[in-house]
Amino acid sequence: MNRLLLALACMLVSSTFALAHHSSAMFDKSVVREVTVTVREFQWANPHVWIQIILENEDGQEEEWSIEGLGTNSLFRNGWRPNSFKAGEVIEIRFNPMHDGSHAGGFIGAKFADGRTLGTWK
Amino acid sequence: MRFIPIYLLLAFHWGAFADAAELPDWSGVWQRFEGNGGIFDPSTVKPGDGRAGSPGVRQFPPLTEAWEAKYVATLALVANDRVPDPISVCGTPAGYPRMLALPDVYEFIVRPETTWIITENGPNIMRIYTDGSELPPEGERWPTYTGNSVGHWDGEVLEFRTVSMIGEKRTILDRSGLTLSDQATVATRMYLTDEGLLRAELVIEDPLALREPWHVTRHFRRMPPGTRAYDYACAENNRNPITSSGQTLTLDSDGKVIDKVVDGEVIDNE
Repeated sequence: MNRLLLALACMLVSSTFALAHHSSAMFDKSVVREVTVTVREFQWANPHVWIQIILENEDGQEEEWSIEGLGTNSLFRNGWRPNSFKAGEVIEIRFNPMHDGSHAGGFIGAKFADGRTLGTWK
Repeated sequence: MRFIPIYLLLAFHWGAFADAAELPDWSGVWQRFEGNGGIFDPSTVKPGDGRAGSPGVRQFPPLTEAWEAKYVATLALVANDRVPDPISVCGTPAGYPRMLALPDVYEFIVRPETTWIITENGPNIMRIYTDGSELPPEGERWPTYTGNSVGHWDGEVLEFRTVSMIGEKRTILDRSGLTLSDQATVATRMYLTDEGLLRAELVIEDPLALREPWHVTRHFRRMPPGTRAYDYACAENNRNPITSSGQTLTLDSDGKVIDKVVDGEVIDNE
């Protein structure tokens, strides 16, 4: 069962999500969501990679969310690979949600079942 | 009939260039040293750690009254995230001099007759001719993203002048919305510092936008050996289109708008 945590971290500015291609103002950087999810798809492409995740909402219903990361090139130089996220994999993920509650967010970090992490995971 | 030996012709031709053996080693892959989210002039930004595009962050170049008024108006739009960045539509490059403040990596290809600045992000390609040629006459140039650049090597210092940049019509200097006009010129000096940084000193003049020359300095650091630059096609999977009002939208994996509010109207996208 997916665990849903909403961590209100006022003035939190530690997000690694600093967009190169467009404004990131749509993401609420004062809020960090940490959830256990199932990866549906990993889009390894520019200008941004996207992780499509399935999470369980508070009503127990499954929702698909789109988590946006940086571009492939800088991520590759920081240890990401085209197969870093595999469909069906269960991971923990942290992201800044959108201000308007839409089902998307800016990537902060991810932790895999074997303990590996990507991005910022403190 | 007498022929001039080819080697004499080549020697005469190459004589106009710097000696390749004396050119500096700018090989490898580089990254901008100053960050601040792409702020163009870190020396005048307030607050000092302000990021381009963040509300309340601005720079203080010697703007004319008219350009200061434009900048103030633009900053008000930036505070509401309504200043679309031209490069966000994935169709045009950043142009010069903004291309010295981009994320991702850089390559500087040095040849006696030409130096190329290649930015991975964009990408942008800028050509600086050091073959002894002059700038094209007025009737043979037009505003472009990187303009026209000619220069020369003064020892290991590349000095060049850039004109005919496209300016505010299609470029900005950073996401604070700062712009120049298409009458701007830039005199640039680039050289390696004793610390191994590649330093770019810019003197920007613009009869419309600036009261006096604007001095901007930026640096690049060399990435570890073996670092590579990669292909970057911005339109490959752009899921962030921009509305006519300047709002950046987000699309789901099927291309459907995720945002619940578009241009001030609540939409039903469930």
